[in-house]
Amino acid sequence: MTRKSEANLDDRADSCEPLGDNRDLPFEAITVDPLGQDQTSSLRHKEDELLVVRCQLGERSAFEELTERWHLPLWKYVRRVAGNDDAASDAMQDVWLRVLRGIVRLRDGSKLRPWLFGIARNVLMDRLRQRYASPPPADIDLSDIGGDTIPDPLEEDMTALEDELARLPETEREVLTLFYLQGLSLSEVADVLRVPVGTVKSRLFRARHMLRRGLDQKGLRT
Amino acid sequence: MTRTEASVLANAPDMRRLLDSELSRRSRFGYVALLLASSAMTVVVTSLWLTEPALPLRTQIALLIMSVIGLSWLSLSVWALTTRRVLLGRDGVLAGWMAVTFTATFVLGAALVGLSTGRPGAYAASLLGVGLLAVAVVVLMRARRRMASLMSRRDALKRELGTRE
Repeated sequence: MTRKSEANLDDRADSCEPLGDNRDLPFEAITVDPLGQDQTSSLRHKEDELLVVRCQLGERSAFEELTERWHLPLWKYVRRVAGNDDAASDAMQDVWLRVLRGIVRLRDGSKLRPWLFGIARNVLMDRLRQRYASPPPADIDLSDIGGDTIPDPLEEDMTALEDELARLPETEREVLTLFYLQGLSLSEVADVLRVPVGTVKSRLFRARHMLRRGLDQKGLRT
Repeated sequence: MTRTEASVLANAPDMRRLLDSELSRRSRFGYVALLLASSAMTVVVTSLWLTEPALPLRTQIALLIMSVIGLSWLSLSVWALTTRRVLLGRDGVLAGWMAVTFTATFVLGAALVGLSTGRPGAYAASLLGVGLLAVAVVVLMRARRRMASLMSRRDALKRELGTRE
């Protein structure tokens, strides 16, 4: 990576803006982060902290709010990394068990988001370790990964993007999912992945190039 | 939202069951009761074992085994309450009060038995009970402090977010 491109990446990534000059990618349609402003971010952190404090006080409604608000985003992340619906649904049970049992020990409630995705990641890593320790399962049918067939051109682009995303190596898929699809900031992604912010930036840079190359090969980049 | 995502959200009943099971107060207070009962059992059996003179070897071994059993239940309940069924908010304070009341009653009972019968085992039990009472008081104070701090933070955040909305 050149210094110029690194600087470009730093400037844009620090403000959670879409990276690079590839505004014409279908991927850009889902990279707009509405939480870019500091004030909104601070408000978001306070809302998260309030939810955590209420959970720690044992308010049942807070736990319900927590699961309602975070089940789908976590499921999407787990689904993308795990590769299929069944594995994702299975892993989600473990994720929520760990969340419900561990939230009392979460010291800084404003870090709820990286904490939740960190737990999801730990569950996935544990399962990956178990999978490598056991005989290999049958190959994943990539035709299943695209999900629903919707004749809308944007939806078709999204499906193709999802396919391409699913083909990326796990490290790149994970960082793209957390940063662009889940809207985590660079420092939050770094917390989840337990790597320095600089590593997150370089992984994002590499992942975007891999994704762009894949989409170019399919002729999807307009 | 795709159909798959809709079906994920439709699995809410599963989440509700999980919440019911994980947030069950009965289960939490079951472990608190187990903790109190097992600590009392361990104290009584250990006191007898240490203080009764000229016990036959078989009885000593039996008391030792019972002490180990008591300690095992004690460890299990402590483990469950710190990792699986953690006491949240008011539950922690309530459990603290339960522990203080139970151990104070135990100490008083053991002391009365000691005074009326003069058995050294009863005095030893009340002495060990005082240790348990001290632990219970510390647990209660910590739970109250934690509860007050959480409530104060919750109210401050609510005020702050309320003024912004």
